[in-house]
Amino acid sequence: MVFGYAAYTKLSQPWALFAISVDAYHILPEWAVTVVARGLPWLELALAVLIVLGPWRRTTSVAASTLLLVFFGMMVRAYLRGEQIDCGCFGPGEAISPLTLVRDGALLAVSGFLTWDAFQHSRRPARSFQSQYSSY
Amino acid sequence: MKLSFPLLFSLLPILSAAPTLDKAKTFGNPDAPITIELFSDFQCPSCRMLHITLLPSIMRDYVLPGKAYLVYKEYPLPQHNHSREAAAYACAAARVGKYEQVADALFQNQPAWAENGKVFETVSTALTPAEQKKVQALARDPGILDEVQQDVQQGQSQGVNQTPTMLIIHGTKRYPVAGVPNYSLLRSILDGLAK
Repeated sequence: MVFGYAAYTKLSQPWALFAISVDAYHILPEWAVTVVARGLPWLELALAVLIVLGPWRRTTSVAASTLLLVFFGMMVRAYLRGEQIDCGCFGPGEAISPLTLVRDGALLAVSGFLTWDAFQHSRRPARSFQSQYSSY
Repeated sequence: MKLSFPLLFSLLPILSAAPTLDKAKTFGNPDAPITIELFSDFQCPSCRMLHITLLPSIMRDYVLPGKAYLVYKEYPLPQHNHSREAAAYACAAARVGKYEQVADALFQNQPAWAENGKVFETVSTALTPAEQKKVQALARDPGILDEVQQDVQQGQSQGVNQTPTMLIIHGTKRYPVAGVPNYSLLRSILDGLAK
């Protein structure tokens, strides 16, 4: 849901608007800013669809957590440097603040937990009907 | 005619409630496809950078050719102790047709007056002695102070939370661009909307 909404807010506006938000972090060269601004919303949309549909749970949860970790790291870096810039998380017009950091930190924590959960379940595969009842 | 009088009469309250637009704080063609509302604070360093580095390019490429209509809006931030005074002088200067010149003087000399508080001395460099007297009196006028406050309230209602912020308006859509953007990216937006 969160990734889907994030993708929608970016795809419903001119791509360069999100590019300006990405560029404001002063991390990427201009060509990479263009690639990220054009590609990231589609990646977010793909993740949202895969998370909802459920296949490749471990892969999608790792991808989502990695993405959120990168976003959170960039936001913390900008905040600590005193840069007053847009977060760019859900479209323009939202400056990085303690509130946005708490929100994204909470999303990262939830995603981290779901990733851990996905791996825990994969280590304990559900027993088949036959193996469950073979002892009877 | 019988029908139009009551209609016009009923529109009067709406017309009087509409925000006043000081023509001296606007540039370009009012019928341009894009309107750029620029919310800035005279004491903010990023606003200074935008005014000095980016605004001349926007004026040259979009405002002067009639592709965009530029509207200056005051957004003095509370943490800047002289910015509201500077905004009041700039609005007062607009009444004598010298907004742009005073804005230029304030931004060019921002480091000095932000430090020593000599705002009027800076403003006066862009005015004749007669204009100086007029502007000094107007800057204390409640109407001017109210004008500054109206700009701030308008910005707040439109989600402006930092300076500088350009609100790019195209039809019913509004796109906020905060900070000093990369000009080639800004051009991508403006060119796309101006088509």
